[in-house]
Amino acid sequence: MSIAFDTIAFRAPKCDGCGECMKACSAVKQGASRISIVPGASAGAFEMALCRQCGDPKCVMVCPAGALTKNGASGVIDWSADKCVDCLLCTSGCAYGAISADPVGGRVIKCDQCGGDPACVSACPSGALEWGGAGSIYNRFGEMEDMFVPGLAGCQGCNSELIMRHVMRRVGRNSVLATPPGCIPGMGSVGYNGKTGTKVPVFHPLLTNTASMLAGIRRYYDKVGRKDIVVMALAGDGGTVDCGFHAVSGAAERGEKILYVCVDNEGYMNTGMQRSGATPYGSWTSTTPVGDKLKGKTQDAKNMPMIMVAHRAAYVATASTAYMEELYDKLDRAIEASFKGFSYLHIYSPCPTGWRVASNKVIEACRMSVESNFVTLWEYTPEAGLRFTRSPDRPIPVVDYARTIGKYRHLDADQLAHIQAKVDEQVALLKRLAGEVATAPAALAAAPARTSTPDGAATPPLRHETFRP
Amino acid sequence: MSAPATLKATSRTMVIDGNEAAAWGAALSRPDVVAVYPITPQSSLVEYLAKFIAEGKMDAELMDVEGEHSVLSVLHGACLAGGRTYSATSAQGLAYMFEPYFRTPGLRLPMVVSLVTRDSVTPCCVWGGQQDAMTVKEVGWIQMYCETQQEICDSIPIAYKVAEHADVMLPVNVCHDGNYLSYGVARVDLPEQEVVDAFLGEKNVNWHACLDPERPMAVDPLTGGAGGIGPSTFVRYRKGQCAGMAAALDVIVAAHEDWGRRTGRYWSPLIEDYRMEDAEVALVTIGSMTGAAKDAVDDARLDGRKVGLVKIKTFRPFPAKVIAKALSKVKAVGVVDRAVNFGWNCGPVFQEVLAALYANPTRVPLISFIGGLAGADITPEHFGRAIADTVRVAAGETMSSPIWLNEFDQ
Repeated sequence: MSIAFDTIAFRAPKCDGCGECMKACSAVKQGASRISIVPGASAGAFEMALCRQCGDPKCVMVCPAGALTKNGASGVIDWSADKCVDCLLCTSGCAYGAISADPVGGRVIKCDQCGGDPACVSACPSGALEWGGAGSIYNRFGEMEDMFVPGLAGCQGCNSELIMRHVMRRVGRNSVLATPPGCIPGMGSVGYNGKTGTKVPVFHPLLTNTASMLAGIRRYYDKVGRKDIVVMALAGDGGTVDCGFHAVSGAAERGEKILYVCVDNEGYMNTGMQRSGATPYGSWTSTTPVGDKLKGKTQDAKNMPMIMVAHRAAYVATASTAYMEELYDKLDRAIEASFKGFSYLHIYSPCPTGWRVASNKVIEACRMSVESNFVTLWEYTPEAGLRFTRSPDRPIPVVDYARTIGKYRHLDADQLAHIQAKVDEQVALLKRLAGEVATAPAALAAAPARTSTPDGAATPPLRHETFRP
Repeated sequence: MSAPATLKATSRTMVIDGNEAAAWGAALSRPDVVAVYPITPQSSLVEYLAKFIAEGKMDAELMDVEGEHSVLSVLHGACLAGGRTYSATSAQGLAYMFEPYFRTPGLRLPMVVSLVTRDSVTPCCVWGGQQDAMTVKEVGWIQMYCETQQEICDSIPIAYKVAEHADVMLPVNVCHDGNYLSYGVARVDLPEQEVVDAFLGEKNVNWHACLDPERPMAVDPLTGGAGGIGPSTFVRYRKGQCAGMAAALDVIVAAHEDWGRRTGRYWSPLIEDYRMEDAEVALVTIGSMTGAAKDAVDDARLDGRKVGLVKIKTFRPFPAKVIAKALSKVKAVGVVDRAVNFGWNCGPVFQEVLAALYANPTRVPLISFIGGLAGADITPEHFGRAIADTVRVAAGETMSSPIWLNEFDQ
């Protein structure tokens, strides 16, 4: 069985070419930097040259001395100083320009990922470099049982199916799962005509009563001493923010010990792409159509995770499948919290069919939604307050995200400006709640790459007491 | 058969209203989970439950939820997890509860929910009537209507016995009239806990459908479609529900008989005949109105008129055969309702009795009386009028029906 490895990921749009990564590498390695940031094809853009730790490494193939080997445990291409004969064939064998000769010592240098804690990533001030833990996740969870059968009838590229399978892999068999009407049961998880697509106890609650039904299950199991069962929902946004809201709110207010995962695809996608209270401003849906008089939804989305914070739920977090390691971290905490109180995890889920996104662009849409702050990733507990789990600083413009989504194709400049203003306002509010100084929305958009004083010294953000409603 | 005439006071004899009697009936049945939300005239009932739980008289999870829709929803979850469940509601609460209410019999969840019957909006009204319960008669719940506070207390354990019977597995509404029974105070002898425990036996409420990691299953997968196994599966579920309802008639009779042997109180399980042996005309009643109706029957008998009365206790399933038989020898029938059937311009019980009598070889005239709406009292005088009118119909007179008994009350 193949093994996946963690790696350094580069987010080119965030890179401003500051060079901090190279300085850090050089300092740690006492020589030339193993990572190179170089000007890209367009003005102001940068590209990265760094060892990919290839699965089919050309450098290893061309090495006549056996000095380069693929490490089966870490995935890193190891270089042996003892075996290397300094022929430098490897440097011409690499298509990425990622292995080179040290201009000082003359010997081969390449990235060794600093043993899993790369100095370049720590030094990057813009978030352009990230240590991707997806490989570890694959290794950890690839062995876990998939709680759904193969062949669920989701649309091609369905992000919700990805969420379902990952979440339930982590939760495991000792659980009771509610999937209220929507895509999740619609693709066959509860099943049709006596056949089910799920290996754990699963049911359709009503669209309107998911949290209540789960609360009843939990109370009974707690009463008879079966306290270790995860009692949970995989619910859509419609059943959560609209007609099922009373049940969610009531359960949160009472502190019912359940895990409520809202899979937010911003509308009633299963019934034919109608608007919900979670549908963002400007969206085309089948009930907010685009014509001469109407140009999509005219109201902003209800912010359900913030409403859950106002309920002082035991745990509230937002997550995105573009950042799986973070999603899994939050899932761990959400499950733990569900044994103490109401635990709410809100996962954004672009719908290729309903949003008019190509099925192979769904994860990209997820990522750009976060990079543009259209989606913010954070978590909250009553004890620790609210904190960002990904920095909202240095966002890409919302228009870049909107351009990737078909349901926004019709938006005019005013509508796009409205969305950008709402995103900025939302981030400013979250920053206040997180105890960070909120930058005025207009200034935020025009903010320099890094906050700095006139003398150039970096200014750490001021912190207030963390928000505790 | 009514309660025996000679009752011995015991340490468990109390003077309480119907809501407290229901709360005691529920407490003695030992539900695991009780969900509550207040509504007039049910509120004191759930207050009693909360108090019993607070005082340790009742070992149940108390779920104070945000509305009746969630009341029944949390009980769905608790029941599918294996718990015995109880709640109570009225009127608007029942209307708000309707979505999960509609689902309960299909899931074959053997719950007991008291309906403290009430008229509702509009015109705005918080007073007694049976329009709420009568409006949901086709949903698939068993409905039993009580006449006295003692009968309320006893009927709740009986309802669990019926609901949880393997041949039935259906939810039961124990109905008692808002105001007249909910707030009316009378003597109630509480059954001993051991008697109720032995009567009910071990609960097993989710052997057929459960949400339990130890017995994983998908509850309620989608059925139906244009043809093939989908619709036929649905048909078999529906047919099974009807079979459960039909089986309930015998189970209700047996449960009342069993209760009588254990407590000495033999309540009429389906219908009660009162002075019907030689009756020439009959009134049909339901619920707490029956006491006044019996007094009116007695008065008519003193006047030499051969009048009897049939009281309906079990309205769903409708005991059509025993009603047809009970009314097979009279010359006219007057049916007194506390609700309206808008589609047929009569009372709902009237329509049911009319249909039941179609099985009899001899056609007799029926007349619909509607009274007691919005908390109105149906006095012996009102029943006297109903009897007089029914006698006139028996003699061949035709009358415009329905007759609204309280129409000109001042």
